[in-house]
Amino acid sequence: MTTPLLDVRDLTVTINRDGHLITALDKVSFSVNPGEVLGIVGESGAGKSITGAAIIDLLVPPLKRTGGTITLAGERLDRLSPKAMRSVRGGRIGFIFQDPMTSLNPVISIGRQLCDTIEAHLKIGGEKTKRKALEWIERVGLPNPEVQFRRYPHQLSGGMRQRIVIALALCANPALVIADEPTTALDVSVQAHILQLMRDLHRESRASMMLITHDLGVIAKMADRVAVLYAGRVAEISTVGELFNAPKHPYTRGLIRATPMPSADGEVRLDQIPGAMPGLGAVPPGCAFNPRCFKAEGDCRAAIPPLTTEESAAFSCFHPLERETA
Amino acid sequence: MSAQDFLTLNHVSKVYRRNQSLLERLKKTDTGGTKAVSDVSLTVRHGETVGLVGESGCGKSTLARLVSGLMEPTSGEIAFRKDGAGRTPRLQMIFQDPYSSLNGRWTIEDIIAEPIRVHKLRRGRAAIRARVDELLTQVGLSPADAEKYPQEFSGGQRQRICIARALAGEPEFLILDEPTSALDVSVQDQILNLLRDLQKNLALTSLFITHNLSVVRIMADRIGVMYLGELVEEAPSEELFLRPRHPYTRLLIDAAPDMDTSDRSLHPIAGELPNPAFPPSGCRFHTRCPFAKDICRNTAPPQKTAGTGGMFRCHFDLELSNAQAIPPASKARTA
Amino acid sequence: MTPVVNTPSVPAARRSRLSKLLRAMRRAPGPTFCAFIIFALLIYAFVTPLVSLNPFEFSGMSVMDSFIPPMWMADGMPDFPLGTDDQGRNLLTAMAYGMRTSIIVGFLSVIIGLVLGGSLGLIAGFVGGKVDAFIMRVADVQLAYPALLLAMIIDGAARAALGAERSVTTAITIVVLSIGIAFWVQYARTIRSSVMIERDQDYVSAARITGRSNLSIIVLHILPNVMAPVLVIATINLGIAIITEATLSFLGIGIPVTSPSLGTLIRNGNNFLQSGEWWISVWPCLVLVAFVVSVNILGDHLRDVYNPRLRGRS
Repeated sequence: MTTPLLDVRDLTVTINRDGHLITALDKVSFSVNPGEVLGIVGESGAGKSITGAAIIDLLVPPLKRTGGTITLAGERLDRLSPKAMRSVRGGRIGFIFQDPMTSLNPVISIGRQLCDTIEAHLKIGGEKTKRKALEWIERVGLPNPEVQFRRYPHQLSGGMRQRIVIALALCANPALVIADEPTTALDVSVQAHILQLMRDLHRESRASMMLITHDLGVIAKMADRVAVLYAGRVAEISTVGELFNAPKHPYTRGLIRATPMPSADGEVRLDQIPGAMPGLGAVPPGCAFNPRCFKAEGDCRAAIPPLTTEESAAFSCFHPLERETA
Repeated sequence: MSAQDFLTLNHVSKVYRRNQSLLERLKKTDTGGTKAVSDVSLTVRHGETVGLVGESGCGKSTLARLVSGLMEPTSGEIAFRKDGAGRTPRLQMIFQDPYSSLNGRWTIEDIIAEPIRVHKLRRGRAAIRARVDELLTQVGLSPADAEKYPQEFSGGQRQRICIARALAGEPEFLILDEPTSALDVSVQDQILNLLRDLQKNLALTSLFITHNLSVVRIMADRIGVMYLGELVEEAPSEELFLRPRHPYTRLLIDAAPDMDTSDRSLHPIAGELPNPAFPPSGCRFHTRCPFAKDICRNTAPPQKTAGTGGMFRCHFDLELSNAQAIPPASKARTA
Repeated sequence: MTPVVNTPSVPAARRSRLSKLLRAMRRAPGPTFCAFIIFALLIYAFVTPLVSLNPFEFSGMSVMDSFIPPMWMADGMPDFPLGTDDQGRNLLTAMAYGMRTSIIVGFLSVIIGLVLGGSLGLIAGFVGGKVDAFIMRVADVQLAYPALLLAMIIDGAARAALGAERSVTTAITIVVLSIGIAFWVQYARTIRSSVMIERDQDYVSAARITGRSNLSIIVLHILPNVMAPVLVIATINLGIAIITEATLSFLGIGIPVTSPSLGTLIRNGNNFLQSGEWWISVWPCLVLVAFVVSVNILGDHLRDVYNPRLRGRS
């Protein structure tokens, strides 16, 4: 078994609301192997983005990391000083944000922003930096790098801006890239471009990637393994084929079935999960999914199911689904 | 207009004028404008749901606002079938953002009762309240929710309230503008199911607008595909998915990633979406079309009728039944 | 999805208004204290005239008692706890009468400004186009002049038009109108910008599709949603209006010195500040400051509480 590049154990994040501590992320554990794409999927409020932000210590108060360990290539990130963390961010861990408009500084040219990041993390300067920046503009597929170098974010379309954000995340040769909903703000036709670009660059650089999204289609095309989050807990972690073809957790199957997909024969099926995900601080006792689960029994309401590993999959459920024979 | 036709759009266009500066107004220079909707003709028959799909800037939401009467078309005509007394049918609309579509200072009861009161569909406080309770139950909420305020509900519940309000007006025509785009998958699923039940039980005529092809396939009987303000193809739902006639439709169907993990190929559409304010000459899609020839760059394609009663705007009669019809993206990566 | 806290949509048990109020008071002791000061001063200003003679009428003053210092000083008398002025008026009661006038002037002028500015702002924001441009240009021009100067001009013009013989009521009416008109711009601008936001919200579109008229959309839908920030400005302006009235009276162009207001009292006392009778102007100054500062702090607090940006939408 390979040693994972990133190992997250029992990561816990709480929110301090008027003195009450509310758990936003409850003992989340997963790992990312070298060169692998781990998809993190869940609905809004499940804790996907908080997980990404917690790893690079970008949680905004009242959110606070209160427990767990984060290990990147043997080094404990959770013990780093804020200053040491800054050099990890953008250096060894690159970050791609959802909204390309707000993650670029509107008053600094594209070229300058790239050069700043390259200089800060690669310790090179002068002409070399500029050459590197131009190279990246070309690598992310923008025509006329010299022209783009002098342009400002508002002069680019949404898709082009997201390409620059990707260049910024990758230009320091990070070992891990965390992409938080990288294509959600984009149109379908542009989304496919950006995914293709991310896939190409991933193949070239072999950097590991954490791909956070709510879109199961994106997960199916991009991820090697997938972690499903529900109400701040890991419901299931599995390889992508296993997850889509033989989900173990009833929530995973519900989520897959709820996603409308025009399947090949044109038959459309909508299977609904009743109710809604519990809000922060309103998680029921036992398994967080039990009020919506068709398999829930007494034990599901009594105790939180532990993450059980079985072959290549891990799931937190007392009554996992059998592999469907059909 | 035939007897079945409920709504007819006849060469409808809408131009957004750019806000002119004082100087420009004084000089009376014509700064032009963005043609958000360009020469769209469409018919919705009684009891039918017509879907409109397209990417941002294609004009689908503008078209919804034109049909709803919130905006006047710059040219063209929008006509509803009138009943015997010459009355135009009652309209209701469901919006994308469940947060801005409910007045936060009103109780749920007042919100749902508004169309009932305005159209005088029930008289007396008790009768109105009874109707509100009935509607709340119908959309899966409880009559006890009537006294609450919108802030106390989640996005999905708010969308249910919006549906209840729309139904309260006993609409003969319903416009749905991205009703599930702001919702999570499992909640979207519930709302779509609710809407499908209502379609079945109330025999509603409706216009369903979305950017999501899978959603529109579930909801609509016929689908129109829009690109940069133009209706480029229109066909019965299944026909559109099985035998698209316009290359854009084919590419759009393939571009959205499905959940098939055995075939992980991605199908981007070459190039970027042009600025809707300056659409390309000739066929508006020619800059991204793998089949584009010289004629496409210079001449706008005619509106052609397909055998199944559909319509498409393309110079060629292409066979696009399966994804392999598209030549491997010549240069998909660069704009 | 962003790492921002989502408030859970717990169907909160509806707390009674009283317990809500008590909770809010415990959270904000400062503003609560200010509210008590305002309340106490209001009682003082409106109850005192009911139980004592008007010191500005002949029966209420006696020249024999003039310039008596506050009671704790050497020549003080317990009958006049805060001392008397040059005409022998008891300052404690004189100030109550003065405050009553000031508060009435303040409230009325705020209401006039609010109604005038509010309606113009509503029309400008809702109708837009040329009407909006016209109203807002007038507002811009008016903004070029300080409110006090404007009040003086309007006051002066009104006096010139009405001629010399005028009663105290006319003087007060003129002051109220001039202050009200001088302050409409702020309300108009605030309401206009809020209306322009609300006008494009989907709930307004929904009401329009349902068939509501413009008037009922404005009154039923838009107005309740734009009032909160304006009411907060009104609280703050109440203090400013009282100061403006005091300033006008102090300058001698507001309310005549023969009728009491905080401004006239301060102006009168100012004559004797040099000769050692400090109390005649200091007490009304202190009351004015206490009232205005309390109103401002409370208004500021209410603005924070009602600021929609500080309240999570969900």
